[in-house]
Amino acid sequence: MITQVRIAEVVVQRESGLLITVGLGSCVGVGLYDPVTRTAGLAHILLSDSRQFNGKSSNLLKYADTALPLMMDKILKEGALKKNLVAKIAGGSQLFKYNITGGVSNESVGKKNIMAVKKALLEMSIPLLGEDVGGNYGRTMRMHVASGQVEISSLEGYIKLL
Amino acid sequence: MKKDLEINSEEIDILKELGNIGLGNATISLSEMLKDEKIKMLVPDVSLISLAEVPDLVGGPEKPVAAVFSRAIGEASFFLIFLMPEKSALNIIKALTEGIREEFCSLGRSVIREVGNIVSASYLNALSFLTDSAYRQTPPILAIDMAGAILGTIFAEASIIEDSILMVKTSFSTEVNDIEGCLIIVPHGEGLKKIVDILGLELKK
Repeated sequence: MITQVRIAEVVVQRESGLLITVGLGSCVGVGLYDPVTRTAGLAHILLSDSRQFNGKSSNLLKYADTALPLMMDKILKEGALKKNLVAKIAGGSQLFKYNITGGVSNESVGKKNIMAVKKALLEMSIPLLGEDVGGNYGRTMRMHVASGQVEISSLEGYIKLL
Repeated sequence: MKKDLEINSEEIDILKELGNIGLGNATISLSEMLKDEKIKMLVPDVSLISLAEVPDLVGGPEKPVAAVFSRAIGEASFFLIFLMPEKSALNIIKALTEGIREEFCSLGRSVIREVGNIVSASYLNALSFLTDSAYRQTPPILAIDMAGAILGTIFAEASIIEDSILMVKTSFSTEVNDIEGCLIIVPHGEGLKKIVDILGLELKK
């Protein structure tokens, strides 16, 4: 079964199939995997920090700091064990040369997202097994539920296995 | 949050008009650049959709597109995204360089950025004229990549906090040069209410 994970969504699946998140720009795709129970979760994170927005948004799956704990709950409920979990991440690129809102910032949204995802993983004590982040191009992330293997591709045909 | 974004059918009509007014003007500019080629314009499409659904509106998240982004600042603030399939962008480059270039080299990229700039500026001119208020436009920036990646980046960088987003999309196409694309207007912050107020008032006069 192939399941699409769209912006600000989290999907958890067991045993077999493919989880795909297409078109990661500054967004970060986060895959969690338990190789023992073969349980996989994939999230498409839009922004880094929910606290910046004072709870104005109702969808907590948009933000790294809130989406990752929610994904963890979901994957544990599906039968994964916390001690087995590993993570793989991709995305966080900078597609536009300049900050689109006109302001000058040393840190692109993509970079902030990567840092926030890594921080959340660290806080949950989940080891980061592989990453393909940064750069200036969009990515598609495919996660094989049976093996936990992750394939990254871009429009240029760039392919990397995590 | 949801409550603020409820729109009624009269407001939808006003927003469609917002797409119509401007793009009529913008397609004239584009037509002039393409040696008076006829440009077909579709009725604007107003949609209030979740962030996850947005890429489907432009042909799916993995579709290769060229997008020119700029922000309009004035009485109301909104985003302008001039977006076209990669192939159409290449056809524009070919048409405007008279066949000298047909790739996203630095000249090719400049051509697309400039076309986006002119289309957006024509749009804003029409809007300014109609509402009797001036709009300033930020310099256009260009990205060529997957539609989902580009739109996601725009929403992230603009810190869109709403879960649903209102978009006014007006599509156009040409036959001879085989170009299709669209101009997407996304009211930002208080932009939506203000635009509806301003245009509502103007249209009722």
